[in-house]
Amino acid sequence: MSTKSDTSTVQVEIIPSRYLMPETAQRLLNEIYNNGGMVRIFVQGPNMPRAVPYGPGKGIPIDEHRDMLVEIGGQAFELTVKVGRISLELENESYFKGLEAACERALPFSFQIRRGKFFHDRMTVSDYAKFGEVEDKRILGLIDPKAKRDKLAVLSDESVTCDK
Amino acid sequence: MAYTPQYYPGTTSVGINRRKHMSGNLEKLRDLPEADVVTTMGHRKPGQDYPSTHPPLKEMGEPDCPVRQAVEPTPGAAAGDRVRYSQWTDSYYFAPSIPYWRSYWGAINCRGCDPGTLSGRQIIEARERDIEGYTKKQADSEVNDVALCSMRGCTVHGHSLRLEENGMMFDMLARTEMGKDGNVYQVKDQVGIPLDKKINLGKPMSEAEAKKRTTIFRVDGVAIGGKAGARKYDEAVEALHHMWELRSKWGYRPE
Repeated sequence: MSTKSDTSTVQVEIIPSRYLMPETAQRLLNEIYNNGGMVRIFVQGPNMPRAVPYGPGKGIPIDEHRDMLVEIGGQAFELTVKVGRISLELENESYFKGLEAACERALPFSFQIRRGKFFHDRMTVSDYAKFGEVEDKRILGLIDPKAKRDKLAVLSDESVTCDK
Repeated sequence: MAYTPQYYPGTTSVGINRRKHMSGNLEKLRDLPEADVVTTMGHRKPGQDYPSTHPPLKEMGEPDCPVRQAVEPTPGAAAGDRVRYSQWTDSYYFAPSIPYWRSYWGAINCRGCDPGTLSGRQIIEARERDIEGYTKKQADSEVNDVALCSMRGCTVHGHSLRLEENGMMFDMLARTEMGKDGNVYQVKDQVGIPLDKKINLGKPMSEAEAKKRTTIFRVDGVAIGGKAGARKYDEAVEALHHMWELRSKWGYRPE
């Protein structure tokens, strides 16, 4: 019989009942970031293209989706999705309650928060095809394998890096 | 006694609304200018002549045909208009109408149209001046809510997604927007081409109003079985079972 370690990481998924405006997304992500203990975070949602992708209006720019900058932990990056789901990994159990409180503070409507297994930890063929060998295993599970270009934001205590 | 068609069974509010949509006896909630509807459809500019694909029927010298004599052509067909479309998307979150009911409405109440039903969108094709009239009827009536329904010729997938924070259905092409005054504005036509000026569509329904007017059965709204805990299912379920049974038997043993 194995005993659960207090120091093992915890994976959490947050699903707000509505899609978040960039301002709310920024507020929520900042609250989550300030709560601390974060190993990695993945923001998902429907794509917001910069131009009409098909149809008679193909190629016409969608100005509403430009410059959706959010600033988290002092670093700015551009949102390319409407935030609808946030998966993250915490260093250990002790940060979970604070995370829940952070969501309650930041979200003006209901949300679901649950623990589970949301990131894969072994490299898939798609991962290998996209990245080759990687040193930082945190990258696994942070990428949409279907994405034509890499959409990646790794948050860590040291820095925020954004690779688009 | 005159026959009254019974379009849909059931005593739930959804059943009643479904009957109402099919009967065409719709409540008019707003009156959008015709020019705005034409602009949103994007097929021609308001005031522009209708392009035609053939001369007016009267000038064509039609063959001697009893069907042609019995059926009066629609104004669009008589003038030789092009066939054009309008396509609507309805959110799963208690939109007043749904693709099947828009199609029933079209097939029963609109002459000379071709309704097409898909999972998330509903298209009606007809001669240009006819479809403009049908589209205006939809836009003005209770089958439409400006936040939960929108005219989308392409990229319709917001119907199955959660709503946005302001209660609007998600739109990847941002064709409508919520103004600071609480009104919804149409800023692009149905395929995402920006309009010269914004069109004020009016205020959206409240959540309670949308739940009252919806034709969607949902467990968190009105369930298809009727009141939870009742001794008997609503007639809608009985009728559904009945049709399913007959269809299965007929399907398995055609006679």
